[in-house]
Amino acid sequence: MNQNRVKEFVRFSLDRRIEHILLLISFTTLCLTGLPQKFAGQGWAEAMIAAMGRIETVRIIHRIAATIFILEIVYHLVYLAYKTYVTRVGMTMLPGIKDIRDGIQSVLFNLGLAKSRPKAGRYSFDEKLEYWAMVWGSAIMILTGLALWNPIATTNALPGQVVPAAKAAHGAEALLAFLGILVWHTYHVHLRSFNRSMFTGKLTRQEMEHEHPLELAHIEAETGSAKREAEVTKRKRIFIPVAGILTLALLAGVYSILTFEKTAIDTVPPVETFQVFSPLTPTPIPTAPPQPTLAPQPGGGALTWDGSVGAIFQQRCGSCHGSSGGFSAKTYADTMKGATSGPVIIPGNADTSPLVVLQAGDHPGKFSPSELDQIKAWITAGAPEK
Amino acid sequence: MTLPSGELLSISIDANHFGSSVHGTNNVACTACHADIKGFPHPEFTPKDLRDVAIQFYPVCQQCHADKYKLAADSVHQKAIAGGNKNAAVCSDCHNAHEQPVLTDSSTGKIKPEERVKIPVTCERCHSQIFKAYSTSAHGSLLLSTGNLDVPTCTECHGVHNIPNPTTAQFRLKSPELCAGCHTDPVKMAKYGLSTNVLNTYVADFHGTTITLFQKQSPDQASNKPVCFDCHGAHNIARVDDPQQGLLIKQNLLVTCKRCHPSATDNFPASWLSHYTPNRQTTPLVYFVQLFYNILIPVVIGGMVLYVISDIIRRTMLRRKGASHS
Repeated sequence: MNQNRVKEFVRFSLDRRIEHILLLISFTTLCLTGLPQKFAGQGWAEAMIAAMGRIETVRIIHRIAATIFILEIVYHLVYLAYKTYVTRVGMTMLPGIKDIRDGIQSVLFNLGLAKSRPKAGRYSFDEKLEYWAMVWGSAIMILTGLALWNPIATTNALPGQVVPAAKAAHGAEALLAFLGILVWHTYHVHLRSFNRSMFTGKLTRQEMEHEHPLELAHIEAETGSAKREAEVTKRKRIFIPVAGILTLALLAGVYSILTFEKTAIDTVPPVETFQVFSPLTPTPIPTAPPQPTLAPQPGGGALTWDGSVGAIFQQRCGSCHGSSGGFSAKTYADTMKGATSGPVIIPGNADTSPLVVLQAGDHPGKFSPSELDQIKAWITAGAPEK
Repeated sequence: MTLPSGELLSISIDANHFGSSVHGTNNVACTACHADIKGFPHPEFTPKDLRDVAIQFYPVCQQCHADKYKLAADSVHQKAIAGGNKNAAVCSDCHNAHEQPVLTDSSTGKIKPEERVKIPVTCERCHSQIFKAYSTSAHGSLLLSTGNLDVPTCTECHGVHNIPNPTTAQFRLKSPELCAGCHTDPVKMAKYGLSTNVLNTYVADFHGTTITLFQKQSPDQASNKPVCFDCHGAHNIARVDDPQQGLLIKQNLLVTCKRCHPSATDNFPASWLSHYTPNRQTTPLVYFVQLFYNILIPVVIGGMVLYVISDIIRRTMLRRKGASHS
């Protein structure tokens, strides 16, 4: 018997180990990209997001990791179906009464109230606890995650509140999963003793004796391969096409859910479409509107004092040469009388009239050229009153 | 006088108005600003039209108001002027050089209430469409009807002299902070029975979380997540309980959601918690999910930690005794 004793036992086949690596990568990525989103607002979370790029990048990475995670779950389901239907191995991961007993015994042993640790089969109670926590967690995370991924599709079928509820559950379950892995998984396979079997695939006899004594006994008791190859082959023939179709359907389903909806448009439409520059009309001017000086209206009348010339004198001279002072241009008589120094108008001789002569000098008040022409013509005509 | 453009420019100043203006009361002489007028005849008056007059004259303001002038130099108006848009406002478009009344109360240093209500009317001169929207909004209608001192005028949100361009990503990303300035002020909000939780509930939600991250990490990048004014409006902000436009009316909210989520249907608006913190009355599902995890997480993780600790202690004790851990 002793010669037959094997030193190493295969615990995890290569595909199991690949599954584990896929989970390890996707779960870690999901935690790294997801938890900072849950805790956005905290310095550490924002530093992590900044380190990974922009928040939109982080969300894309999160979704890629989620896709890998979901595909791994799909593969795992197909694998379970194969094991159960084709090779008919016992479902060693199913929990039972023994696991509850083992759990209690472990606690009692640690408290010094039981003499020995429970003897585990292929999977100990703490491994089953982790596996089923993972099943529960994956179901919650995938369902709530897809609801958040497709909020419009979700609210087409369910009340709107499901979306924020899914967000709350997604974040809280993530925290639970992260802490669970951190405490339970890290302790049991890394700290308690470093269990390399998930990477090497193998356990030594000593490890088997210590961790999985019942499984070891079961392996040792097996008398050769009693498997009926023929039956397995037959079942395989049924399984492969059926599972193939189901897998394709499942993958198609996953693909369609992940690409189902375009939740929002890429650019927010402008909130207002006002003409920014829309001045009031007329544009108010800072000062009072200008009051243009009215042009004198003498042109229409005859070339006499009463007809037009008197009005020009009133307009141009009146403000200074009123009733007081040396000269008044108020009436025809006053004007013709002239200044204290003598007459200013010499009828019939415009060019020598002092009034016209003064206009060429620096007299402050000036006629316009056309007015001056009119006055000259009037003087030449003898400066008539009427 | 008539300008080459044919427009008339009044060159007479009402002595009474000038005398009671801020410049008049401070004895600012005409030639302090019209410094090129040194004798007779005056130098040639070069502006071609009325707009030219304002644009040629406003740099004289910096002689006395260098601080404000410098601020205005960074404004969207000055950038537009620099870009060749002569319509953009310069100093004298808002402040009348000859008749400007005193704006601030010298005892408080704050703008006088009677001048404050004139701010939107001043902006209206060029932005009449926006003024129209503002004047009927929750803010504008209160200001214009009662002279309310709590509601914002144009300058509370846009600034005074260094008015930034409000269409940039930067302004958009910063805008929730702007609204929060008043809307998280418990004293102000209590007067109107408004919640001060609007910012933190926004930030807690997907939209607000994203905008906050953008604002902190890439403030000049555009984001398609909404800010306050995308849902509530910018100038035409209506009260949420407005009987016509209020967002409390589900149909109005759905229309708002659909601007960015065109395929949204009836249940979709309820996925936004309407600025509520999850509670048993309005959002029981969210409330109980949170409650469930608030219990589950400490129980599960606490249990695991206790087990691990007991396991470590037991192993250590057995190792000390030299016994095997069997």
